[in-house]
Amino acid sequence: MELINAFSVSLQAVWHDSGFFNFTMGNAIMILVGLVLLYLAIVKEFEPLLLGPIAFGCVLANFPNTGFMEDPGLMQAIHYGIANEIFPPLIFLGIGAMTDFGPLIARPSTLLLGAAAQIGVFVALVGAMLLGFNVQEAGAIGIIGGADGPTAIYLTIQMAPHLLGAIAVAAYSYMSLVPLIQPPVMKLLTTQKEREVVMEQLRPVTRFERLCFPIVSAILISLLLPPIASLLGMLMLGNIFRESGVMDRLSDTAQNSLCNIVTIFLATGTGLTMTAESFLVPQTLLIILLGLIAFIAGTAGGVIFGKIMCRVSGWKINPLIGSAGVSAVPMAARVSQVVGMKAKPGNYLLMHAMGPNVAGVIGTAVAAGTMLAMLK
Amino acid sequence: MSQPVTTNPFIIMLINMTVVFLVLIALGLVIRLIHVLDPTVKKEKAPEIAPAPVEEAAPVPELPNSYDGVEPEIVAVIAAAVASMGGGNLKVRAVHPVEREGWKQSGRLGR
Repeated sequence: MELINAFSVSLQAVWHDSGFFNFTMGNAIMILVGLVLLYLAIVKEFEPLLLGPIAFGCVLANFPNTGFMEDPGLMQAIHYGIANEIFPPLIFLGIGAMTDFGPLIARPSTLLLGAAAQIGVFVALVGAMLLGFNVQEAGAIGIIGGADGPTAIYLTIQMAPHLLGAIAVAAYSYMSLVPLIQPPVMKLLTTQKEREVVMEQLRPVTRFERLCFPIVSAILISLLLPPIASLLGMLMLGNIFRESGVMDRLSDTAQNSLCNIVTIFLATGTGLTMTAESFLVPQTLLIILLGLIAFIAGTAGGVIFGKIMCRVSGWKINPLIGSAGVSAVPMAARVSQVVGMKAKPGNYLLMHAMGPNVAGVIGTAVAAGTMLAMLK
Repeated sequence: MSQPVTTNPFIIMLINMTVVFLVLIALGLVIRLIHVLDPTVKKEKAPEIAPAPVEEAAPVPELPNSYDGVEPEIVAVIAAAVASMGGGNLKVRAVHPVEREGWKQSGRLGR
């Protein structure tokens, strides 16, 4: 009798501790959301390298009683790397090692396009505040318009960590949808004549310029905006690895193995924040809507400023490169190229669009820095 | 978290956009300054100009021997037309004017 009693008590304890007993409808919905995202990543190839681990992280986060965030272990270590802003600057190290600032150095005026496209960030910020989000939450939502995943995560963790899952998913999803979102806005705002503008070839950039740029800009921006010094500092360090010509091994590691390893942790950790309690709220839908508005406004801001520059320069700048100012490297630059080629076959805008594209990365980081300095 | 300076979204937008523009304009000025101060720019320009005439000079002496009485421009046009038909490694060795008239000539052109 005692044996049967002990057996049933133990079985009950196992059952009560199991995931099945504690499973909620919210968990089921979120696992379904994770699987849909996984489908989009694998079958539709929407930013698979990021959305894949985010999606599976979301599935993992919704198993009850795992103690991921309470007990020390891998999951907590991954979360620590996100919560303490360790991973985004490491990703920036890799991005710096991959980025060619040459087109930007050859035509510094394109920096203005990278600045103009940041209007999307602030349009979304205004929209979010009008919809009732507080100022920190609105700043974090706005940064989706910067189309820069690591910066969005970096800022959100500091301003509104409870919104991280929704903001990261919105940012990465829209980044993969850039080829669908941008062309209609670009065509709507430009005339056929503007789209046909052929741009002069860029001047060659010397090694001295390529090396001085990351050093001087890291010093300047870090002194101006200390909150983003780690982000910009790592970006420029990665670029020094690349341009120095004597640190090839470091450059190779930064842009390949290290970047891949950190991407796995960053993306999985972002997925782990997508628990039912934090994601299944009406705010999530608003964030996704505001993210779309941010992308459209950023694209429009870049193109409209491109039109102004086109007139001022005497029709030497094609306004289509303005849309690349929203970052999303190199996807947004490719969109400028494709739309330009459709308007005039043989008109290659890719290299010209890379200028505003990398300027957009710096612009988004600067926008994040000013918001951290002003709103945090 | 300390209290933000302002919570008016439009003022936040205005201030932040101004800062973003100012920082990126400053960065643009730095780029121009680096370009002006670049001590390597003159050294790198010199070898760029030097090899150009050498490449052009090579084919010139062959012209008068190979293409009797035909303008060099016409030869260039014919060579380009042949190349555009997918000639690959083809070499135009000689161009001779054909002095034929009448039905035979127009028959050839019509084909």
